Amino acid sequence: MNTQTLTRVKQHWLDLPDGASEAQVNDMFIVSSVLDELGFSLKERIPHYKTDTGGNAVDYALRRNQGGNEFVLNGSNPHVLLELKGRDINLTKGSAQYKSTVKQLKRYLLAPNCQTVQWGIITNSDHIQLFRKHGKVIFPATDCLQITEDNLEDIIRDFKSRIENTPTALKVAIYNNKGGVGKTTTTVNLAAILALKGKKVLVVDFDPSQQDLTKSLDIKPSEKDFYSCLVNKNSELKDIIHPYAINYKKLNKRFTFDVIPADKKLADCGDDELRQEIKLYRLNKLLKTLEYNYDYILIDSPPNWRFFSQSAMYASDVVLIPAKHNNIYSLENAAIAIQKFLPQIQENKKGCTPIALPIFFNGENKISDAHKITMTSAIDDLIKKFTKNEKFDLTPYFYPLSTKGSKNKEIFHLPGYASISNAAFAYIPAVFKDKIARTYYLNLAMEYFLQ
Amino acid sequence: MSNLDDIGNLMHLPMDEIHPGEGTDASNYIITATAKTLSNLGGRNWVPLIVKEVGEDEYEVIGNSLIYAVAEAAGLEKVWCIIADASQNTIELTKILSGEVIPKINLSTATRDEIKSALEYLIEKPLSSLKGVNLSVATIRIFEAPRESWKTLGEITKLKCGISKGKKLDALKEVFYLTPNTNLKESNTKKATSKETIQISTQKISEEPTQETIEKMTQESTLEIQITENLKNMTSKELKALARKKGLSGYSKKKKSELVAMLSK
Repeated sequence: MNTQTLTRVKQHWLDLPDGASEAQVNDMFIVSSVLDELGFSLKERIPHYKTDTGGNAVDYALRRNQGGNEFVLNGSNPHVLLELKGRDINLTKGSAQYKSTVKQLKRYLLAPNCQTVQWGIITNSDHIQLFRKHGKVIFPATDCLQITEDNLEDIIRDFKSRIENTPTALKVAIYNNKGGVGKTTTTVNLAAILALKGKKVLVVDFDPSQQDLTKSLDIKPSEKDFYSCLVNKNSELKDIIHPYAINYKKLNKRFTFDVIPADKKLADCGDDELRQEIKLYRLNKLLKTLEYNYDYILIDSPPNWRFFSQSAMYASDVVLIPAKHNNIYSLENAAIAIQKFLPQIQENKKGCTPIALPIFFNGENKISDAHKITMTSAIDDLIKKFTKNEKFDLTPYFYPLSTKGSKNKEIFHLPGYASISNAAFAYIPAVFKDKIARTYYLNLAMEYFLQ
Repeated sequence: MSNLDDIGNLMHLPMDEIHPGEGTDASNYIITATAKTLSNLGGRNWVPLIVKEVGEDEYEVIGNSLIYAVAEAAGLEKVWCIIADASQNTIELTKILSGEVIPKINLSTATRDEIKSALEYLIEKPLSSLKGVNLSVATIRIFEAPRESWKTLGEITKLKCGISKGKKLDALKEVFYLTPNTNLKESNTKKATSKETIQISTQKISEEPTQETIEKMTQESTLEIQITENLKNMTSKELKALARKKGLSGYSKKKKSELVAMLSK
């Protein structure tokens, strides 16, 4: 890279006055050097990009020009959004202004004109943070970084390389440390519905003691393939992937997803033994080699907080938590996972993923009004308890629609259905067999993932 | 707008200069009890009436019409009002903002989330005629239907999602409207955009099944499914038999791994 231009960024940054306004930061820093360094020329940026038909506009939309398709002319398919603030806005992580800026960016990222956007940046020139958007899911790609003279160039280089090498896969762990909430059923049917929607999906059965997922698809658990992959640094996951396919005869169409089956050898090893052989980040490393081959990688993890679930969390971008509305333990366990376990992994990873998606209720045909009231008051108590004892706000994870001004307490509910639970006997995901099951899981997929 | 007019101002206007407009349909209890509370608690309507100017010293209510009825019942001679401009847009917006009219969304272009929340609103309403409609099923059936070409909302009744002609369909008209013509155009550009994404993206994007196929699939009541799971667990002989059955050619000399690859395509 040209060191002279890098010095230019640094020079521009040093020239910025302490209380630089948004216009100054834009003029002296962003336009004159940062956007260049990120790899976007003048014809590859649009300032005040309209995100919807109303008056909302983000500070910059960016996209590399390819062939005759000039972004500056047609403005179609933006790839990156940048929301800029002045130094008078405090973007230290956790501050009120930081939170409202993140909220603002998320709103733009999900706006109708920004469906193709994959990345979002917020900065005020003191702090900077990169967010990744995959379908409907938005998660931090980096921490909120404090810019210094020394790290400025590295940060921009890192952002640039991430933006230029966007992985296609979103890695999702399905987890609740309470058992019996329908993790495996959720994983299998989510994989099936995403496959029906034309997505490339890999499912990892990382619950070797139960092997339910593997068995439910009538796949024979491997003897020790997965184990050797995890232990042996030279082996590759590619070799142990098992294609699962289903044919719709009438449509003459075929839907497939890939499975990494559970492994008997892994089930036989104790936690201590596993830890001596396998690092917590090993699964993550292995899956990283596949992140350009799939749209979704779903990891089914066991209900506890030991090696397998920890590795699964470590390897994922987001965690999907099924719960039961009539089981308070499934809610408490979800809360503990969100407040305690995930931050542990983030710290260990020195990153800011995985993040929890809002919980959803799995099963039961209809939640009665009486049940709803008991459940809501139980959740309210839980939220109060965590706010008081742990200084942690669970609200967005339990009531995603609740805002400062709205008391909305809707929680997504995936209705139960006989043929969903019976499907396991037929060794076919219910989604492939039954149209009601299909609508239920399509709702789940669209609620959380598909835009 | 000049600063000589009163638009945006809060003014204390005599009741006899204000026409009530359409009036409120609030119950007598709400009106009289609120009037009593107003008199007991200071007599000033802190929540203002929204009016437009219709002539010299003449105004007409366009929002918060309950306040007018309450002021009447409480015997107020003057009432606090905000003067809005008289444009049709402002009147419509004010009625929606004051909760007197339910906003509608364009079903031709609505997202799944919008459809879901609209249906949820209707189903959860007290005395809703849509009680018993399965929210999940109705949301997806409507979302996946070819809405952009619909001319009337009656098409919904053909989707077999528990919404029939009559009261149920009428309930939907409260929240949905259609714009068939402009929409066809919009959906075309949408398609073009997604095509472009595939072109410019360096990533491999798998082919999305068309709306039509998905439609077909949902319409089929019993789907014949044949599984060919566990290709890897099958013997070469079985795999070849399968390949023959599928009408593929050139399988006879292939090794097992090649057969699996061929059949997974």
